[in-house]
Amino acid sequence: MRYLPSSPAEDRALLDTIGVKHAEDLLVGIPEPLRLKRPLDLPPQGAEQEVAWEMMRMANRNTRFCAQFLGAGAYDHFVPSAIDAMVSRQEWFTAYTPYQPEISQGTLQHIFEYQTLICDLTGLEVTNASLYDGGTACVEAALMAVRVQKKRNTVLVSRGIHPFYRRVLETNFAPHDDLKLVEVALKDGVTDVADLQAKLGPDVAAVLVGYPNFLGAVEDLTALAGPIHAAGALLVSVTQEALAFGWLEAPGKAGADMACGEAMSFGNKPTFGGPFLGFLAVKDAHKREIPGRVVGQTKDLDGKTGYVLTLTAREQHIRRDKATSNICSNQGLVALRANIFLQLAGPEGLKGLAAQNAAKAQYLRSRLLELPDMQPVAEVPFFNEFILRYTGDMAAMQEACLKESLLPGLDLGRFYPEYQGCILWCATELHTRPMIESLVEVLARVPSVVA
Amino acid sequence: MFLRQRESLSFDRSVPGKRGMDLPRLDVPEAQDTRPAHLRRSGFDALPELSEVEVIRHFTRLSKWNYGVDDGIYPLGSCTMKHNPRLNEKVAGLPGFTDTHPMAPDALVQGNLEMLFTLQEWLKEITGLPGVTLQPSAGAAGELTGVMLIRAYHVSKGAKRRVILIPDSGHGTNPATAAMAGYEVVELPSRPDGTISFEDVTDPVTGKVRKGLQTLVRELGTEIAGAMITNPNTVGVFEYRFKEISDLLHSVDALVYMDGANMNALVGVARPGDFGVDVMHLNLHKTMSTPHGGGGPGAGPVCCGDKLLPFLPVPVVVRDTVKVGEGEVPKHTYRWDWDRPQSIGKVHTFFGNFGILVRAMTYCLSHGSDGLREATLRAIVNANYIRARLKGAYALHIDSPSLHEVVFSDTLQAKHDVHTLDIAKRLIDHGYHPPTIYFPLIVPGALMIEPTESEDKGELDAFCDTLLAIAKEVEENPDALHQAPTLAPMRRMDETTAARKPVLRWTKAQ
Repeated sequence: MRYLPSSPAEDRALLDTIGVKHAEDLLVGIPEPLRLKRPLDLPPQGAEQEVAWEMMRMANRNTRFCAQFLGAGAYDHFVPSAIDAMVSRQEWFTAYTPYQPEISQGTLQHIFEYQTLICDLTGLEVTNASLYDGGTACVEAALMAVRVQKKRNTVLVSRGIHPFYRRVLETNFAPHDDLKLVEVALKDGVTDVADLQAKLGPDVAAVLVGYPNFLGAVEDLTALAGPIHAAGALLVSVTQEALAFGWLEAPGKAGADMACGEAMSFGNKPTFGGPFLGFLAVKDAHKREIPGRVVGQTKDLDGKTGYVLTLTAREQHIRRDKATSNICSNQGLVALRANIFLQLAGPEGLKGLAAQNAAKAQYLRSRLLELPDMQPVAEVPFFNEFILRYTGDMAAMQEACLKESLLPGLDLGRFYPEYQGCILWCATELHTRPMIESLVEVLARVPSVVA
Repeated sequence: MFLRQRESLSFDRSVPGKRGMDLPRLDVPEAQDTRPAHLRRSGFDALPELSEVEVIRHFTRLSKWNYGVDDGIYPLGSCTMKHNPRLNEKVAGLPGFTDTHPMAPDALVQGNLEMLFTLQEWLKEITGLPGVTLQPSAGAAGELTGVMLIRAYHVSKGAKRRVILIPDSGHGTNPATAAMAGYEVVELPSRPDGTISFEDVTDPVTGKVRKGLQTLVRELGTEIAGAMITNPNTVGVFEYRFKEISDLLHSVDALVYMDGANMNALVGVARPGDFGVDVMHLNLHKTMSTPHGGGGPGAGPVCCGDKLLPFLPVPVVVRDTVKVGEGEVPKHTYRWDWDRPQSIGKVHTFFGNFGILVRAMTYCLSHGSDGLREATLRAIVNANYIRARLKGAYALHIDSPSLHEVVFSDTLQAKHDVHTLDIAKRLIDHGYHPPTIYFPLIVPGALMIEPTESEDKGELDAFCDTLLAIAKEVEENPDALHQAPTLAPMRRMDETTAARKPVLRWTKAQ
């Protein structure tokens, strides 16, 4: 077996030193009746080329597209070559959690830089080394809000937040009988202010609002912050497409007290939904309540500046059942990809890239609206996603697209019955004008439904 | 090898006008600005302006201050890492996998669904448990999922139980998880051999009596939702009364959660489903060689027994067999099953860390039935070899037969005022990553060593020789160890100030 290095003679020497005849003799601590007395019913080991072949067979069984007009929480952006080249260095990908700072300064300084960038993008003061994904970041944000806002037990969640994020929130709130999640309705594609105001009260710890929301609309955080703060609640922005931070004001500067969401767009491919990159940024006053790994700057014995894992008193190694969370890892390599991506992009690159996304989405929308079966739903500002009502035959439209190797937008009916017949479209810098034009051509050929 | 002693933060080297990313020519009209004025991005305070050359050099230099498993043994007990095969990386990067969208219709992602289904079948056979979810993103997320399954089970029977039992030797994530799932934690005391005590234990110093498993089950009874038990435990010892523990807990309908952090000691040797485990998680970075990436991403699949199947997170991947003619090979199609009314819901936005699961599948296919068992046995042999070579020079606090890891104590060295931390830091000077230190809490000054199967005799000997030389140095020149490390990029760090006056990001004023 290529990954098992000891030779038979070396093995013998190891066993002799231990003082046993066979490796199996070392299983003495496992009671005989509890041992497996047959080989695992699985295929035998495979040579590298055999395994590669089998895995490639499965990869090839997936359908590939010339263009995907689907976002909905997983965005396809260009990945600069430098990222894969850097991340495949063993010093990055085969290193463990930086428990020993003297020989982990690479990882620690990277995380410190990553934290700085997330704070910069969100306009907030403190973040952690990353969380699993957008959905679990919402959970950590909501639970943290309840911790910070003592005696308030309710979290309001806009219906504009990703339906899967809301599902993850519900799952994690279910065990807590003392906590409540309440949905705030949508109106014209954005959070309904009247419904929000009706539900705000002395028990509300925080309100989670999409920015942009799942339907692509840019929620006016500043306007929402007024009533939310007046009621003593925290405004938490939830961003599922972090590239929007190159187009939209930082949530912290627009009125949010906490910002969380998904940053996979920085240097990652959709990869069937993971590994992704959850983030959570908060105000300085709340820094000792933030969950997850945090890196801080310090000095060594010689006075040299360096970095360590810090604020560990919050964590489960010490606090055990009183910890701020059970999380004890981060999305290390994905955060590294984001860090490299953002440093390559710089302020001009990020703004330019975001502006291109906005331009492509606007162009896609204007072209789609030329089709008789496409109708606008609401006139709201959007970034790189938007919804349109489709009055044609949805199934025929999807089939026609797939035939031309185009993946259309998301049929919203499955998630929002009130938006039955609407499609969530996405365009990024990867969508060239010819791709958009071929989509429009294909759609134009789908016969209209005759009433 | 690192050549430079300093690498400033990127932010300090930013020069206006530089860029590391060129944008494609815009082939559509410029975006109209429809944003409300107050929501227009105002600017950035930190994003640096650098060329690609500088960014690559920065991250290359930083990387050289890290220690990876390709540098040598990574003996972090309970955490550890085995060799990360390059094939796994290559396969995980196939565009056929990376370009797939999680919201795409099932018919378009048959390869992904087949891969996930196949991996689940392997994990079922390995653990002896009939249910699997691949959604949890890491071990801790797996624990939480597992405990939520336990809760859903009791709730479905109309009972809200309030207590989870956890041994004092357990990982810190266990009590943190139980609390996140809304439970009260009651600690189970250990016996001197590190296993769970059935009987009450009297603390020799304080005289305080800690209730053992039997007393707790008798007194708390149906208040107990379940127990979270690491097996083999954190001193590398198999809970040899595991079946009795399961039976006792099952007698009050409490469920058994097995923390599978150490499952790499059991693969192909013993199956949790065969000794009463109801639910467990696996740490794929440890058991199945997925890279740890300086902290993640991980993957923490959860396997469970029949009782918990209805509650698994949605969606669940299922296989349908397409009817074919007689004598032909049956064809399979795969789909997500979302229609599971008793499900706890979702624990990940989509389907888990798919790219990591691809690597684990690759590991499984490479090893096969025979290779998986062989890897387990070699990991156990390697740990016991270290134990045999270092026994005497370092105190073995617990002398029970151990499996994949060995835990020493610093009691012999403490006589010279040298402690575990000093020993760990001196190992760095010799070019090794230190073991896990001061864990488990039940061993004073613990040095927890886990070599994995990836080390050959030469590497093991070099590592043991180094630890023996350090033991000698402790006797001859103990003061020198307090200075260690002296050869690393950094000397010991001031962690107290870091926590007291936290500096958690760069700011312009700095």
